[in-house]
Amino acid sequence: MIAQMLMDGLIAGSMIGLGAIGITLTYSILRFANFAHGELVSWAAYFALSVSTALGTALPGLSASLGPFSFGWSLPLGLIAAMALTGLLALFADTLLFARLRARGASTIILVMAGFGAALTLRSLLEFIFTSKPMYFTSALQIARPLFAGARATPDQLLGLGLAVALVAAVHLILTRTAAGRAMRAVSENQALAGLAGIDVAKTIRLVWLFGASLAAVAGVMAGLLVQIRPYMGHDLLLPLFAAAILGGIGSVPGAMIAGLIVGLAEAACVNFIGAEWRAAVSFFILVAILLLRPQGLFGKAGA
Amino acid sequence: MSEAPALATRGLVAGYERDLPIVRGIDLTIGKGELVAILGPNGAGKSTYVKAIAGTVPCFGGAIMLDGKDITAMPLHQRISAGLAFVPQTENIFASLSIGENLQLAADVLPKALRAARLEKMWAMFPDLASRPALRAGQLSGGQRQMLAVARALIVEPQVLILDEPSAGLSPKIVSSVFAMLQSINRSGVTILLVEQNVKAALAIADRGVILVEGQLRHEGNAAQLATDPLLAELYLGAQPEKASA
Repeated sequence: MIAQMLMDGLIAGSMIGLGAIGITLTYSILRFANFAHGELVSWAAYFALSVSTALGTALPGLSASLGPFSFGWSLPLGLIAAMALTGLLALFADTLLFARLRARGASTIILVMAGFGAALTLRSLLEFIFTSKPMYFTSALQIARPLFAGARATPDQLLGLGLAVALVAAVHLILTRTAAGRAMRAVSENQALAGLAGIDVAKTIRLVWLFGASLAAVAGVMAGLLVQIRPYMGHDLLLPLFAAAILGGIGSVPGAMIAGLIVGLAEAACVNFIGAEWRAAVSFFILVAILLLRPQGLFGKAGA
Repeated sequence: MSEAPALATRGLVAGYERDLPIVRGIDLTIGKGELVAILGPNGAGKSTYVKAIAGTVPCFGGAIMLDGKDITAMPLHQRISAGLAFVPQTENIFASLSIGENLQLAADVLPKALRAARLEKMWAMFPDLASRPALRAGQLSGGQRQMLAVARALIVEPQVLILDEPSAGLSPKIVSSVFAMLQSINRSGVTILLVEQNVKAALAIADRGVILVEGQLRHEGNAAQLATDPLLAELYLGAQPEKASA
């Protein structure tokens, strides 16, 4: 039972962690909490669903299950398309809204409110286009396989977990070993100095949107595959995402992932020991506790 | 090499608000290879003037010419590639990045073929930094930070290096080593524009001194002569600047 709880927590936590990385990156560079990030998660799931359905209809062979997984090639291709389309959606939102407000020197609270507005608009659009009826990438049933100490997981769940670990390692390497990653870290610390060092700050901000949105896309497709696709799926993930981003320390990619796993495990423990109805309260409790006790998070710097 | 001056400003007006400019029509020409010290009492607009040249403060009028090319409207990040490097007075390094990353990210703007050689050159020029490239820059002392900031600016081999009060907050011993380093950089052919409160130290290494008062160029002259000019003391002590008009 404990082993299963751990497995459930890790699987949920990996999705939260991926979404939290996008939040922590945009927060550290743009200096505001983007409450529309959850909607990027939702839109990504619907983008992937639309593309994979279209591909599966046009080329039925792409829908045939891949090995032990419940989906065919149409879903990975849909995910790649969703990463690109969600990135474009994020850039569109930035160009239309956030960049204009930044140019006017808008305060943080104005940007946060704009994010709320963008979130409402994007969510309502999803409901209008796709209705609020839950949708699924696949109707195939998967049997959870025994792993260790009584814990079981489906191949899709294990793939999601593996993908999350691989992506965190990749993002960490990009941030620490590439020119684009160094530029993002420099812009995060001091935009004026980054410009003096020859970094195109506007271009770097666009890159961060693309990066964060792509990770939100992976989280959205994972959530859609492992649970279901709904217009509110991203909104429901928002509190755990922010709890993980703040617990990990704003700006820390490994911190966001580790904190995502902690939030996921805490939620699973709550379901196991207290009751499923308290699950949503766990993220709120973690968020409040970390803000009171260690506002810089586990891996952040004081004052960040 | 063109015959144009290394750097020139023509009637430069700059500041934070259009209606209240801090720099009010400065004309200045700096020849290639010169080391010019910008002096003046507090609030004279020295820092705002060099920040406007660097691109971090908006210009409301006039022009900035770099090697004969008008860079007034050039975006901040392109000025470094054009040959203009600026070392701000504070927050002039990326404290959360390592020493090596600070230099590497400055080298990233160069063509790939040049990067390794330029990094090697900086390591050779600043052996104190080379001995611990993985150290977080925020852990460096004031003098070492200044060295790193200068190394970061020099890695692109700029034609003009601008420094805003490089001696601020440093001990006298460190100040003399920073100024010796600037003199050596200047002797290698880099034009330097230096804003400095430490008038004596600045004029000791400068070719020319320029005095700003209330956002305007009030006086300029040979550094050695200026060092003994009573006008300088008058301006710094706040005595009638209008008497000092040259």
